[in-house]
Amino acid sequence: MTHVSLALAVLASGAAASLLAAKRRRTGLRIGMAAAGMAGVLCVLGGWNVLRGGETTRLAAEWPLALGGARLAVDGLSAWFLLVIGAVGVGASVYSWDYFDDADGYGPNGAYAPLFCTLIAAMVLVVCAADAVLFLVGWELMSVSAFFLVGFHDQDGEARRGAWTYLVATHLGTALGVVPVFAVFVARTGGTSIDGFRGAVGASEVAWCVVLFTLGVVGFGTKAGFMPFHVWLPAAHPVAPSPVSALMSGAVIKTGIYGLLRLVSWLPDLPAGCAVGLMIVSLVTGVMGILYALGQRQVKRMLAYSSVENIGIIGLAISVALLGRSLNRPELVAVGLGGALLHVLNHGLFKGLLFLSAGAVLHDTGTGDMERLGGLARRTPWNALAFLVGAVAICGLPPLNGFVSEFAIYTGILQGVVRLPNSYAALPASCAAALALIGGLALVAFSKTFSVMFLGARRDPSLTVHDTPPFMLAGMLILAAACVTGALGSGALVAAVSAALTPFAMEASGKTDTIAVALEPIGRLLRPLGVLIVVTIGLLVVRRRMAPGAAVGGAGGTWGCGYAFPARTMQYTGSSYGWKVMRCFRFVLRPLRRAPSLSTCFPMPGRLSTVTRDFAHERVYSPMFTWLARLFERLLPLQHGRIQLYLVYIVATVLIVFLVEGWTAPFSARPRNGAAMPGAAPSTGDDSIERGARGGMDQDG
Amino acid sequence: MTAVRAILFVPELALVLAMPPMLMSVIAKTKAWFGGRVGPPWLQPYYDLHKLIQKHAVYSKTTTWVFRAGPIVSLAALLTAATLIPVLSNESLMGFSGDVILLAYLLALGRMFTVLAAMDTGSSFEGMGASREVTFGAMSEPALFLAFVVMAVATKSLQLSEMIGPGLLLEWRIAGPAMILVAGALFVVLLTETCRVPVDDPATHLELTMIHEVMVLDHSGPEFAFITYGIALKFTLLGSILIHAAIPHSQEIGLFGSTLRIAELGVLAVLVGVVESATARLRLNRIPMFLAGATVLSAIAVVLVLMRRTG
Repeated sequence: MTHVSLALAVLASGAAASLLAAKRRRTGLRIGMAAAGMAGVLCVLGGWNVLRGGETTRLAAEWPLALGGARLAVDGLSAWFLLVIGAVGVGASVYSWDYFDDADGYGPNGAYAPLFCTLIAAMVLVVCAADAVLFLVGWELMSVSAFFLVGFHDQDGEARRGAWTYLVATHLGTALGVVPVFAVFVARTGGTSIDGFRGAVGASEVAWCVVLFTLGVVGFGTKAGFMPFHVWLPAAHPVAPSPVSALMSGAVIKTGIYGLLRLVSWLPDLPAGCAVGLMIVSLVTGVMGILYALGQRQVKRMLAYSSVENIGIIGLAISVALLGRSLNRPELVAVGLGGALLHVLNHGLFKGLLFLSAGAVLHDTGTGDMERLGGLARRTPWNALAFLVGAVAICGLPPLNGFVSEFAIYTGILQGVVRLPNSYAALPASCAAALALIGGLALVAFSKTFSVMFLGARRDPSLTVHDTPPFMLAGMLILAAACVTGALGSGALVAAVSAALTPFAMEASGKTDTIAVALEPIGRLLRPLGVLIVVTIGLLVVRRRMAPGAAVGGAGGTWGCGYAFPARTMQYTGSSYGWKVMRCFRFVLRPLRRAPSLSTCFPMPGRLSTVTRDFAHERVYSPMFTWLARLFERLLPLQHGRIQLYLVYIVATVLIVFLVEGWTAPFSARPRNGAAMPGAAPSTGDDSIERGARGGMDQDG
Repeated sequence: MTAVRAILFVPELALVLAMPPMLMSVIAKTKAWFGGRVGPPWLQPYYDLHKLIQKHAVYSKTTTWVFRAGPIVSLAALLTAATLIPVLSNESLMGFSGDVILLAYLLALGRMFTVLAAMDTGSSFEGMGASREVTFGAMSEPALFLAFVVMAVATKSLQLSEMIGPGLLLEWRIAGPAMILVAGALFVVLLTETCRVPVDDPATHLELTMIHEVMVLDHSGPEFAFITYGIALKFTLLGSILIHAAIPHSQEIGLFGSTLRIAELGVLAVLVGVVESATARLRLNRIPMFLAGATVLSAIAVVLVLMRRTG
C-alpha cells in the first residue's frame, strides 16, 4: 500500500512540477515522464508485493468527498492490474522522453506530461478504489485525461474526431452501464464502500443478477472494446500520440476488464445463460476483430482492431470461468480466470510494445501507411526486432509470453469440454475451434504487418528514414524484455495469478488447492520452451560451422523467376497478402473492391482498390448519430446568439426550479434527512441514488 | 520419467530423426511406379541433403537476418515438436498435460518464420506463396483443434501421448464412426501442412501455382537442406499422430509395436503417393472449402463423441 500511495504522490507532484515548468517545455516533459516512470516502477513493486504476500492492504484517508470517502484497498486483483498499469506505464514514459523530439512536434503547450501523469494516476485510483464514488471519480478522470491525450494533435481533424468518438463512447458506456451498476449496489447496501458489495445481491435474485451482469458488460465492455461497442478503438488509437496509444491499448482498456471481473466477484453464481451470452459476444469480438485488423492499411488502426480481438480472447476465458462457476466446477473457474488475467498482463506488454514500435515507424518515416513502407529492417534493425518480438508474442507463438496465456486459455477450454456435462460441453468445443481460427488469422495479420513494413525492399523511394532515438528504443526494450520474462518466469507468474484470484468466490472446498492444481501445467511450460530455445541456438551453431553464405545480386537481387528486371513496386502488397482470407470471409466483411474490368483489346491503365468498412460503424452508429443530430437540430431555433434571450432562459430556469421546489417540497417531506441533503441532488431522480447518497453521508458524518 | 526410459529414448529419437528422408523416398518411388518409371535411388534424399549441406549459400541483397533465421527457427520448432510426439512407442520424450497446444503452436511458429523469410526476399512470387501458406494454415487449424477435442474427450487427457495412446482402442470400439471422421480430418491436415496434393503439388514447375516450393525459391545451401529436411520431419511427425490415432496399439506389444509403426508410416507414405498420382490438385480457390470440409468432419466427430458420452 505504501507503494501505491507513494506512486500517487509522485504522479501528483510530477504533474504539478511539469506544469510549473511548462515554460521550458522539454524540461517539463522530462520531469513528468520521470515521475510517471518512477510511479510505474512503484506500481509494479507494490503489485508484486501484494501478490507475493497475498493479503489485502488498505488505506483510508479522512477526506470527505461530497459523497463517499477516500478509501483505497489493494487486494490480489487490484495488484495484478497494478502490475499491468505499471509495466506499460514505465515503457511508455521512457519512450515519451524522446518521442516529441522533431518529427511530431510537442505542440503549443506543456499539457502532455501532466495529462499523462493524470491518466496513470486515474487508472491506479480505479483499480485500487474501495469506494464506489472514488471509483467513479477515477473512472471519469481516466476518460477525460485520455480524451485530451488522444486529441493531443488537435490540429489534425482525424485526431479531433477520434477523441470525440472516444469521449462519446466512453460516456455512453459509463452512463448506461457503469453508473447504474453502482447505483444498484449502493442502493442495496446503503453505503458506498465496495467491501459491502459482495453478497448485496442474493443468489435467489436471478433477474437482478442477469440485469447487473448485462449492464456491466455494456458499461465496462465499452471501455474494454467488446463488439459492438468497439468503434472508438479504431478511431482513437491511430490518432493518439504513440505512447498514449500504447498506454490506452495496454492498460486503459484493461480497466474495463477489471470492472467486469470486480462486478463478477460481487455477484453470486450467475445462470449459465450469462456465460453463454458473454461467450457469443467474445467469439464475435475475437473473430471479427482480427478479420477487420487484416483489412487495414494503417498500422496503428490494424493494432487497434487487434486489441479488439484480444479483448475477445480475454472475454472467452472469462466466459469459460463463468460457465465453470455456474456449473460448480472450481477448477474451470481457476484456469479460465487465470488465463484471462495472464492474457490481460501479456497483452498489455506486447500490445504496448507493438504500439511503441509502430510509433517509432511513424517517427522514423512520417507515415503509418503500410503499403508505402518496406525494407525498414535494414535501416532500423532494432525497431524491426522489437516489432518482431511483439508480433511473435501476440500470435501466441512460443517461446514468448503470448503463448503462456493462450496455453492457459486453451487448457481451460479443453478441460471444459472434458469435464462439463454434455449439454454444455459443445460450447467450449466451439470456442476451441474459434480460438484456433483466431490464432491462425492473427498469424496472417501480423506476418503481413511485419513483413510489409520491415522486410523486402522499400516501396516508396521518396520516403526518408530517420534513426530511432535511443530512449524510444529503451522504452521498447523494457517491454520486450518483459515479454521474454513473462514467458520464462511463467512459474512465478502462476503463483501470482493464484493470489490474484482470491477475490473470487471459491466457496467450493479446497480453494487455494484447486487454483494451484488447475494452473499447475502452466508452470511446467518452462522446460519445453527452454528446449526450443536451446535447439534454436544449437542449430545456429551448427549452421555457423557449415559453409558460409555470400550475398549476391544487383539492385533486384532476388531471383525473379526468369524475369530479368524485377522492381520494388512488383513486390507483393499487404492488401494482396490478406486478400485470400478476406475473400473467404467476404460474406461477413463485405469489403468494397473496385477492380478495373478488362473489356477492350487494349486495356487502359486501371486502379484496384479494396476498402474494409466497420459494420458496426457503418450500419449502426453512423445512421443512429445522424438521426440524433437531425433530431436535435430542431432545438436550434432556441439558440439565437442574443445575450438578452439567454438571460431570459436563465431566469426562467431559476423560476421553474423554485416553483418545482415549492410545489413538491421533496426534502421537507423527509424530516430525518432533509437537512443533510445537498440541493444538487436529483429531486426527480432515481430513488436508489438518493438512498445511496444518504448512506454515504452517514458514513462520513 | 525415469533415467532408464530417458536413455532408451536416445536410439528411438535417432531413428525418428533419421527416418524422414526415407519416407519422402517411398512417396517418390510410389509416384514413379504409377508413372511407369524406376524413380530415383532409395537413398537419393540423403544424398541431396549431404550435397546441400556442403554448398555455400547464396543470399539476395534484399534480404536481412530474418531470411537466414527462417529455416533455423522452423527446423528448431519441428525438432522440439519431435520431443512431444510419440512416434515409435506409445510415449513421448517430454510430454506433459496440454502439450497438444504447444505442438499446434510450434507448427505455427515454423510457419511464421518460413513465411517471413519468404517475404524478406521482396519477390512477388514468394509473397504469393506466403499468403497462400498462412491462409490455408489458418483454415486448417480449427480442424486440427477439433480433432484434438475429440481425442481429449475420448481419453480424458490433454497429453498427446495419452490422447493417441491405448486409451483410444476403446473409443474405436464404441465410437468408430467418429474416429473415422477424425482420421479423415487429420489426413487432410497432414496433406495441407506438408504441402502435398490436392492442396499443393511439390512437383509442379510453374511458380504461379506453387505454395511451399515458391516460398523457398531463394533459399540455397545448408538453409535449403534445413527446409527440405524440415518438411520431411513434419510429414513423419504429423503422420505419426495420424497413424497413432487411426491404429491405436495396446500397451504391451513393445519392440514389435515399434517395427509395426515404421511399417505403418511406410504405408502412409505409399498412400500419400497414391493420392498424389491418382488425383489432380485442387484449384486454389477451392482449397478453403476443402479445409472447411475437414473442419466439418472434426466438428461432426465432436458431436458424435459427446453424444456417445451421454449413453
